[in-house]
This record gives sequence, C-alpha cells and structure tokens, in this order.
Amino acid sequence: MFNNVIVAQQIEDIPFENIRSVKGEMIISEDFPSYLIDESKISGGHAEYLFFPNTEEEIISLIKKMKEEELMITISAARTGIVGSAVPFGGAVLSLERMDGVIGLGYDEEVKKWFLRVQPAISLAEINHIVKLKKLEPDQSIPQEGNWVEKFEKEHTHYYPVDPTEMTASIGGTIGANASGARSFKYGSTREWIRRIRVIIGAGEVLVIPRGKYKAKDGKFIVKTSKADYELKLPTYKMPGAKNAAGLYTKKDMDLIDLFIGSEGVFGVISEADVWLKDHTPQMSNVAFFKNENDALDFVTKLRASEKIKPEFIEFFEDHALTLLRNKQKEDPKFVDMPIIAEDITTAISFDLPYSEETLNEYFSEISIMLEECNSSLSNTWSAYEDREVARIKHFRHAVPEIVNNIIAERKKEYPEIHKLGTDMSVEDKYLKEIMKFYYDTLKEVGLEYVMWGHIGDNHVHVNILPRDINDLELGKQIYKKFAKKAVQFGGSVSAEHGIGKIKHEYLQIMYGEEGVLQMREIKFSLDPECVFNCGNIFGRGAKS
Amino acid sequence: MLNVDIETCIGCKICERVCPFAAIIVEPETKKAKVLEGCTLCGTCVGACPVNALSIERKAVSEEEIALYKNVFIWGEWEKKEDKKVIKNVVLELLGKGKDLAEKLGETLAVVLPGNDVGHLVPELFHHGADKVYLCEHELLEDYSTDGYTSVIASVIASEKPSIVLYGATPNGRDLAPRIAGRLALGLTADCTGLDINESRQLVQTRPAFGGNIMASILSPYTRPQMSSVRPNVFPKPEADVSKTGVLEEVEVILKQVSIRTKIIEEIVSHEESINIEEANILVSAGRGVGSKDNLEYIEELAEAVNGTVSGSRPLVDLGWLPHPQQVGQSGKTVAPTLYIALGISGAVQHLVGMTSSDTIVAINKDKEAPIFEVADFGIVGDIFEIIPEFVKIVKEEQAKEIN
Amino acid sequence: MKIVILVKQVPEADKVAVDPETGTLIREGVASILNPYCEYALDQAAKLKKDNPELKIEVTAISMGPPQAKIALLRCLELGADKAYLLSDRKFAGSDVWATSTAIKEGIVGLEPNFDLILAGKQAIDGDTAQVPAETAEQLGVPQITYGVDVAINDKRVEVKRETETGYQIISTKMPALVTMSKGSNIRRVPSMQDVLEARKRPLKVVSADDLNIEESKVGLSASPTQVDKIFAPPSKSGGQIIDGSDPKAAARKLFDYLRENKFLRA
Repeated sequence: MFNNVIVAQQIEDIPFENIRSVKGEMIISEDFPSYLIDESKISGGHAEYLFFPNTEEEIISLIKKMKEEELMITISAARTGIVGSAVPFGGAVLSLERMDGVIGLGYDEEVKKWFLRVQPAISLAEINHIVKLKKLEPDQSIPQEGNWVEKFEKEHTHYYPVDPTEMTASIGGTIGANASGARSFKYGSTREWIRRIRVIIGAGEVLVIPRGKYKAKDGKFIVKTSKADYELKLPTYKMPGAKNAAGLYTKKDMDLIDLFIGSEGVFGVISEADVWLKDHTPQMSNVAFFKNENDALDFVTKLRASEKIKPEFIEFFEDHALTLLRNKQKEDPKFVDMPIIAEDITTAISFDLPYSEETLNEYFSEISIMLEECNSSLSNTWSAYEDREVARIKHFRHAVPEIVNNIIAERKKEYPEIHKLGTDMSVEDKYLKEIMKFYYDTLKEVGLEYVMWGHIGDNHVHVNILPRDINDLELGKQIYKKFAKKAVQFGGSVSAEHGIGKIKHEYLQIMYGEEGVLQMREIKFSLDPECVFNCGNIFGRGAKS
Repeated sequence: MLNVDIETCIGCKICERVCPFAAIIVEPETKKAKVLEGCTLCGTCVGACPVNALSIERKAVSEEEIALYKNVFIWGEWEKKEDKKVIKNVVLELLGKGKDLAEKLGETLAVVLPGNDVGHLVPELFHHGADKVYLCEHELLEDYSTDGYTSVIASVIASEKPSIVLYGATPNGRDLAPRIAGRLALGLTADCTGLDINESRQLVQTRPAFGGNIMASILSPYTRPQMSSVRPNVFPKPEADVSKTGVLEEVEVILKQVSIRTKIIEEIVSHEESINIEEANILVSAGRGVGSKDNLEYIEELAEAVNGTVSGSRPLVDLGWLPHPQQVGQSGKTVAPTLYIALGISGAVQHLVGMTSSDTIVAINKDKEAPIFEVADFGIVGDIFEIIPEFVKIVKEEQAKEIN
Repeated sequence: MKIVILVKQVPEADKVAVDPETGTLIREGVASILNPYCEYALDQAAKLKKDNPELKIEVTAISMGPPQAKIALLRCLELGADKAYLLSDRKFAGSDVWATSTAIKEGIVGLEPNFDLILAGKQAIDGDTAQVPAETAEQLGVPQITYGVDVAINDKRVEVKRETETGYQIISTKMPALVTMSKGSNIRRVPSMQDVLEARKRPLKVVSADDLNIEESKVGLSASPTQVDKIFAPPSKSGGQIIDGSDPKAAARKLFDYLRENKFLRA
C-alpha cells in the first residue's frame, strides 16, 4: 500500500564543539572566499559560519545550533551550479565536502538494476571512476549477505548516465538541481536515476525516502517527527511537457522523492543517495554539417522521429559558435587536435549513437537518407568510436561555452558589471522551428551579439547574449524576458536545466504566475517554518509572508 | 614460454591485474592462472606473483661460443659544426660508461670511427678513455648514410667480435643501430638509461617502457655482441686526461658509390644555432598556457636570464610557433637536461615521457592540479606572465650587484 | 604504384599508470589506439594518393598483433587504406624487434611482394624503440630514410624531407624503399560516416604464420635475441616543493633562491 505519511527517524546528535568549523565573516571572506561563490559568479556572498561536517549526527547538531542562533544555512558541495544556489547571503555555509565517499553497492532484484549508495559530495566523475574500475570492497555489499560486490566484478562495465557536462558536480548538488545535460535526451534527468535518498530536515530528523513508497493523497503529504506533524500541500500548477528544472515538481499522485529532487535544497540536506547504474555500451560520436540551418532543423526532426535510431543526444551549434571555433583553430594551441570545420558550414548537429558493427550499416543507411533529404550527406560528417577520436569530438562539443566565457571575462575588464546572458529555455517539439525563428528575429531586430548552441533534441537551445557594454546588458535582459514569455507560450520552461536559484525568480513568475510561486513558498515553509535551508533559492529570501 | 605452477598458484588474480596485455587470467572454475594468446613474455606477472607460481622458460646458452666475443665498442659519431667535424657529446658520455663496463669485464674499450678526414678526432677519444680507435676513413663517408655506415661498422664488428656495442640514440644512431642489428641478426635495446654487467658477465640493459611508467631490464643471452643505444645526457661525460693515449688501427674501407643508395639533395641547417635541445643543459619549455605567439617573448626572456634553450610542447609546434626540432615529448624529442623549466605546461603524459629524466624540473602553472607538479622538484602555482618578469628583474638586479 | 603502411595498435599512454601502493601496472580501462606515428604514415599515404592520381596508388596496411588489433586496421581503412592484413598468431608471441621484423618481412613478401614504398611511423609509443622499421628494411634489403616529415614521388625515386638535429635534409632514393615518418602533414582528419561505412566494405584479412609459411623457429620468443629479464617500477620521485604564486614577486624570489642554491645560476 502506498502511503502519504512518512515518519522521520531520530538520530543522536553530538556536541557542537566537535564539528570542524570556521567562525567569523572576515576570516571566511579572506581565507575561504571560494565558499562564497559558485559558477554563477554572483557577488556579495558572505557567511558567519562555515561547517565541514563528517556525519549526519554532526549535521543535525549544527542545525540545532543554527536554529538557536536564528541563522540560516546554505548547503554547499561542488559549487558548480550557475544560478547561485550555493551562494550564501548571511548565516552558515554547510560544506558537505567531507562526505564524499561510496557507502556500498547493491542490486535491486525487483527491477533488476544495480545501484550505488553514496554520500552527497561525491563527484559524478568519481562515481564513474569507481564503478568503471569496480573499486569496491567486498564488505560494501548492500545488504552484506548479498555478496553484490563480488557478483558485480563479473558484470559488464557500468556507469551513471547523467552527464551535465561538468562532471566535477556533486551527486547531492545534481539531485538538488535535477541536473540533466545533453544525454537526458535519451536517459532523462537526474530524477530518473535516483533510487532512494536520506534527507535531514529542519526538525533535525532524517527522512528515508525510497522511490515508490510514499505517494501523495488528496494533494498532500504528512511528515511526522518526534515533536510535530507537518502537512505538505502540493502546488496545483501544471508543469510543462517540455524538459524542465524550474521550481518544485508537482503532480497529483506524485512520489515524495520527486518533491525533494530538484528542490534546490529548500527542504533540507540530502545526506545519502542511491543512484541507479546502467551497463555501458560503446558509443560512436557523430557530427553532421549543414550549409543551411533550416536543413539542420529538419534533420533533427527526422532523427528524432526515427523508430530505429535512438541517439544519446542531439546537440546543435549555430553559425556564430562555429565561427568562434574556426577562429580558435587558427590561433589557440588548445585547438590543434580538433579537425578543421569547413568555411561554408553554418550549422552542426552532434549526435552519439550506440556503436556496434552489427547495426552500423543499418543505422548509417537510414541516416544517409535523412541527410540527403536535408541537403547534406554522410561525407559531410565526422564519425568516431576510438577513444582518442571520441575525445576530439567531445572537445568540439565542449569548447564553445568556454570560449564564450573567456570573451565575457575579457569584456568585464572594461565593464565589470557585464555578464553573459545565457537562456535555458525549452519548448514542445512542435514549436522548435518557431522558437528558433523568434530568437533570430528578435536578436537581429535589436542588433545584439549572440552565440547559440545546445540540446536541440529537447528543443532546449542556449541563446547566449554577449553584451558589449551596459546598454547591451540592459537590452539583453529585456530580450531574455521576451524569450521566457514566448517559451512558456510554446509549452516550455523558463529553466530547462539550470534551475532558478537566486537569480531567475522573475522568470519563474512568468511561468507559474504569482499564485504558483506562492504555493511553492507555502509548501517550503510548511516543512521548514524557520527557513533554515537555502533561503533565497527558487523564491525570494526572507520570512514567510 | 610462461609456465604456471598450478600447485603453487593461489588464484589471487594479481597477475591478471598487472598484465599489460590482458594475457593471463584466473579461470573462475579452477581458480588458477591461465596464460592466454597475447602473452609477450614481458615478465611483469612473474615479478608480481606473491607465491612465485609463475616462471619464464628461456633456452640454454653455449658458453664457449660466447666467450669468443670480447671488448666494448662505441660508434664514434661526429657532426659538422661550422664546417668543422667534432665528436658528439654522447660519444664522450658513452666512453665514460663504456670504460666502467670494460673494467668490470676486464676488457678493453674501443671506438669505431667512420668518416672522411676525421683522424684529428682520435686524440680526444683517447683522452676520454678509449684504449683503441678503429679509424675507418673513406671519401664516401663524408656525410652520414645508412648504407655506407652500416656496411663499415657491421664489417668491423664481424671481424673484431666485440662483446658489447654502444650507440648514441641520436637520429642517426637510431637509423644506424637497428640496420646493423638487422644485418647481423642481433638483439638491440634502445634508449637505455642504465647499463651494467651481471655475475654471468652479461650486459644488463635497463630502459623505460610504457612511457616511463615501468622499467625493464633486458638481456641478450644468446647472441653477441650485445647492442644498446643510449640517449644524450643520460650518462655523465668523463673528465679528459690529455696525457692518455691508445692504439690507433686504420681500417681499410672498401666502399662503392652504388652501394650507397640514398642521396642527399639538400641540407637545410636551421638558423638557430642552439636548436639541438637534446644536448642542452638548461631547457626553458613553453606549453599551451602561453596562449599566444607574442607571449613567447616571456619564455625567451626567461631562457636568456638562465642561459637556457627554448623548447616547447606539441600544440605550439603544430601551430607553427616553434619548429618541430624544438618539440619535447612523445611526438618530439626526449630530453634530459640538468634543468628543465616548464612554463604553462600542464604535463600530459605525452609530454612527461619526453622530459621526466631531467635532473631537476621546475614548473610554473596556474592550475594546481596540473600533473606537471607531480614530477616537479620546484613548482609555482601561479601566472607565468606575472612571475617571469619579476624573476627576470631579480636576475638582472643580482647580476648588477655581482658586477659592482 | 603500391604503398604498404606498417601500423601498430598501442595502449593509450596517458591511461597506463602505476599503482602507487603496489608499484604494478594498472591496465584496467586502458584504451587501445592506432599508434599516432602510424597515423602520420597513413596521412602521408593518403596525401600521395591525392597528389598523384596518375600513379593509381594502392595502399595496403599491415599490422602484427592480437586479433583485437583489427580495430586499428579498420581505422586505416577509414583513413584511406584500400586493404589491410593483420598478422596474428600465437607463434608470434614473445617476438622482440628482430623476430617482429622477421614476421613483418615475411608478411610483406607473402602479401604485397611488388611494393614500391613502405611507410611506417618512426616509433610506437608503447615501446618507443624505433627499431622495427629499420630492421624490416634491412631484412627486405631495401634502403631506408628515417625521420621523414614530408614525402614526394619523383618518377622511380622517393624524395624525403628528413629531420636532423640541426634542421632538415632532403634525401632521395630509388624505390622500392622504406620511409619512417616523425611528423605528419597535420591534417587532423576525423573519418566521416561515409568513410566508416566504406571501410567495412574493404578487405581486412587475418593471416597466420602458416598462411605465410613462416617456420615457428624464426619468430616468437625462441627467435628473439633480446629477452626481458625483469620489469619493475621506476624509482619514484620524492615530492617536490610546490609554492603558491599569488604573490609573483615573492614567488619569483623563491625561484631565484632555489635555482641559485642548486647552482643553476651563475653566482
């Protein structure tokens, strides 16, 4: 029987003094500045405490202490997020970096899948490293008597398929953000890959939430702790059909675990997670080139519609992105290994396919037909399956964002206020061409500099506006809002993968309206009335109002 | 062949883990090691086996035959410097090591010196330890050619029967030595970093393999002479003793134009005099971190301050910022200077294999995680463009102080 | 005209590591790739083919190795080879340079006896010995030019730009001949899907010692003059001193002191 009532576990705390901590705003800002910023590069972060707990007991103890002192807690791990979720504005930073180990490995016989139990700060790269090399000890089997570690030895290579590009991201952070990335086209976002989590809530107790055990009833969950019961009323807005990471997840009979995944840490600290593993199939990386973007978009539509071919991802690079790469190839030592991109190409579509000699002929023949219908051909592609070659193509895919960041860094020297305006919007499949046209028309009309690339398989293209001065920045912000409204109109999301954090509140309003945001606040404050955790993420800071 | 002692084997799988070729497994059924097809008899597993269950069977040696071969030979490579012929440094370094080997064997040390009009080089060879020089002069030996030099040296070896022949692993040495080995059906161990004599009077040749990640010691048990090549700067150059002299034997060389099948059409000497980075004492090396061609100025400035030679990693050469002869690393040259300064070089293995045998490594890089710091004796995590100018300033100030 | 390219599959060097605790080689997860220098030879062959259409150049790739080395030959077929042979046999196991070049010689004589030019990489990145091509040339009795960076065909002769320690030489020789490449034309090609598809239609044959009538005594360990006595971990470098350079002046001073202390700077 499904249940909408969850009972929290009580755990003994330990003396607060035993926790490794740093106190004092000055010391933290001088000696630990990296804890006050993340990849959003938003400034102004400050904190009075910095904690490095080793265990759940220590976390509970410090939560109690912070509540006594009426200080809020910002949860921090790898700080690779780009919407400022880990940037503290006062209170304490709870750095999970010491909780970065693997607890064990098990096999879920019900669904016939392997899973890895990890601590929150372990990086995705480390998870994959350990799983690939099977660096596990026999006593790490879950449960012990299953002897799963020994059995896993004989298995094919496995991996954790969520790939948000930045593999130094922590598992805890990616659960909080419901991270996705290119490969979510085939495998879905983090949500699909989490089996079970442990969450420490503001009451100082632990919720153990496996998927499939707690389901909402009458739009509600009840959390029982030793001191009080909390009623969580789910928001009633309808989430878009397109890829989405904006705001809280809500659905009529939803699983409790989904409320926490993607909640940007507003409900508590994830202290442990089980992630599903997938067996690794060799991949081949392909890039198809087009002289005309419209042809490229047609190709995407065809590829997506194929019954047979299921690419890992479909990625898009527009003319400006390719020009940046071509220029770099001429002058930057980092690009000497990247094959030359022909001058008459305006668009590139990158897609990985499972590699097998058996299916290669069949797949390529089908793709050949698609390409020719779209005025390109198999000769106009790159294809790689050997490790080193695959790395060359990966470099091609990952280089553009880096170049753009460098351009902005250069411009910041003259105008320190300038920052990149990168959209993160998705739409429904049928609106792909329309939204692209809207982007181009709007940008051309105002004459802003831009570069586009992204996850076109999910109709999720990042439009990056590169302001040349303050006027451009202001103009860009207005355009951004226009794009957000249009994306919502096209059944999409204002933030398909980056989340809302501390910098995208107004777009969330566009998507769900004032009422929707208010409902999110309500459920947050039902479980965390003192606003202990990650205040300022998703919705405005400050107390309940 | 590789034998497994089934009785002794405990099925611990260490062999399986260490085998570089995936050529030994522990069978799940028997829990015993089993040798597979890919085995190259490299011996890694034999050393790793905790219970000595693995052994390699080698064939027996005829001692009488081997005893016929005596003395240590060195190829006396020379080069033209401003139209003068001079002995290459690596030959002098080999004389030092060769002397050591010859003494251990109680044999003599000789140099085979092919060339045209090179008699004036002989005294220097004696001064550095040669007991004997085979002078092989012929006008067709004016320039190095594979055919001409192979023919001359192979015939001296065949008639004189040395026990050991050493070559400098220079471009020409690496062209010549395998050709001679091919002709005489001999073993040849390239790029040795250690040479010694064992209790069976065999030459123990130590060389790095797998990009320096492992070391292998190699024997040539059944063939003579035993041949090795050694890179420049691996062994120290002995002090010259100008009073020393030796036996000069002039070898009659019979060589015809037709037997030299290659023809040098043009010789292009690079303008940079100091371009031979393999022989440089101090190398100042630039990597990706340099960012732009103009920034190479910083590197040159530092090189000047420390009296070093500029080299670089592959990307810079691929972009045409540095000529290929100045490239350090897997696809360039392997260097072993006394001081190697790596600037903006992250230290990919491909680069490291080309320079880790340097005596002292100094690295400056922005990224504290850069692998170059793992091999550096002195590292600075910082910006080369900020540190170099400061450093050059200090050097100049200090020099000025000295002068005053 | 017939060009033979000699290629080798090698472990990707940056992935081969030594376990710091046991000092043994960690092989797990190491990818196998086509030796980069062989790729230069392949590039050169493709370039010659393109530049000299009238010569009707046919490129044959030959490799010796375990069955899985077929992948490296597939890459050759994708990047311009017309056919490929893999010499693969248990009898070849344990071959050193001499025995390897014997097998390759027999392979060339048996499979492509009328070759005009053999192109090889100057060395393989796993062993770095740079000896197999020269010994093969010697065994075949053809001239060799090593350290080539560019190759041109001029009637019956091959002209090679060869790297020397001080610059370059242009050397020519009559074909048949063997040339090793130390640098490619830097084409940076990735095969296209078309190349991948077509490569699979071209012949790739696995050839055994028996197919080539090679006597067992001529190859493998028993025919190898050199033998590995033991393999061990290199002496580990004691940890160096790493300092923070956020104050450039102070860091530069420390560097100066270090270099002077170690007598690298004239005092």
